[in-house]
Amino acid sequence: MAMRQTPLTCSGHTRPVVDLAFSGITPYGYFLISACKDGKPMLRQGDTGDWIGTFLGHKGAVWGATLNTDATKAATAAADFTAKVWDAVSGDEILTLAHKHIVKTVNFTQDSSRLLTGGNDKLLRIYDLSNPEAAPQEIAGHTSAIKKALWYNNDKQILSAAEDKTIRLWDRSSMQEVKTLTFDTSVSSMEYMPDGDILVITYGKTIAFYNALSLDLIKSVEAPAPINSASLHPEKDFFVAGGDDFKLYKFDYSNKEELESYKGHFGPVHCVRFSPDGELYASGSEDGTLRLWQTAVGKTYGLWKCVLPEDLGAENSEQLYTSPPEIKA
Amino acid sequence: MATPVSVLRLPKGPDPNSRGFDPRSPRFIALCCTSIPTSAASEADAEELQKEQHARSVLRETFLRCLLSMTNKKVQFHMHEKVKVEATFGASDIDVLNFQVSDLHTPIGVQKEALISPVRIAQPVGLQVQP
Repeated sequence: MAMRQTPLTCSGHTRPVVDLAFSGITPYGYFLISACKDGKPMLRQGDTGDWIGTFLGHKGAVWGATLNTDATKAATAAADFTAKVWDAVSGDEILTLAHKHIVKTVNFTQDSSRLLTGGNDKLLRIYDLSNPEAAPQEIAGHTSAIKKALWYNNDKQILSAAEDKTIRLWDRSSMQEVKTLTFDTSVSSMEYMPDGDILVITYGKTIAFYNALSLDLIKSVEAPAPINSASLHPEKDFFVAGGDDFKLYKFDYSNKEELESYKGHFGPVHCVRFSPDGELYASGSEDGTLRLWQTAVGKTYGLWKCVLPEDLGAENSEQLYTSPPEIKA
Repeated sequence: MATPVSVLRLPKGPDPNSRGFDPRSPRFIALCCTSIPTSAASEADAEELQKEQHARSVLRETFLRCLLSMTNKKVQFHMHEKVKVEATFGASDIDVLNFQVSDLHTPIGVQKEALISPVRIAQPVGLQVQP
């Protein structure tokens, strides 16, 4: 029996959701943080979308948000010229790091000891979180606002994407630029899969996959519409993408075939990420919502329940909720 | 015709009255560092713990009395971009992030009632906090 995707809508934000990130898998499950132009980033339980808490303190749109691997710390980047570090268990603000312009991106090292930030002042900054009073190390080079910055190659390098249509690779110790990739248009998103050594980059309608060690192009795929974000499944059999036509697309990674697409959001999709176990992917949209989508439609997982036809009439079946069916595009 | 996948319920949304991070959740209980240094030690001295609890109570009470004593007094606020404004203090919100004030004197005029979120408050010299 064919099953139709039922996305789970997470409401709560009042403005566009511009960034989201999952934690690793912890003894308490995995978690999801969302960055929103309403200035109030939220933490949710990753497999259900249940709201856990809101990080209060920013005085402007939050452009970037991240969690450390065990979801004990969160970091956010905002239009109030600060990046903040939070205790992701209590919701308390730990640190405010003042910048000279809008901060767009934040990323923890694997051991959470350092925070990388980037933004409209075109500088990358590295903060030592055990010594936050100390001035951060700064890396200059980009000629336009930085959109995304990531720790790379076991935190030995840094990768950054900017409005200057380049992605630059920097060596952490020497702080020197090692390599530059130039594009015809500015890159809309980057995702780094350390386990598989793959870098996923989106620009225009293109979703491109690079070998993370050599930065050589492996393959690229053209989507039907401009894409703002894409994510590769942990097992590298699928990838998902979303963009300006409000739809989510799912592709086969090996043969690049478009497998499925879903309408659901009421605005452009700004960010999409697979969960660390690959069972679902989350999307954030201009419409102010996050939606969770099943990778294997119909499987029992999280709040989704596989119901066989013979169970539907049973007396002791659980109360089930069926939301209005989503139209398959 | 494909059948839509059933769900047990919808994801829980935010609580309008709270910022969340339920202290009763198993994760909070297991991971949240206590802010009392003595109770964080592996062998908490009951007497030390009592003293710390008492000290914290005193601090909380002093802080609340301070807020109460500022009510209806003229107070100076240091805002962002080095702006200083004077107003009559009304009340604070629970997170001490926003303040309700009256007669707010700003560089562009006087606001009868306002909600502000200053960087810090400087009290005029001579204001005493009565215990």
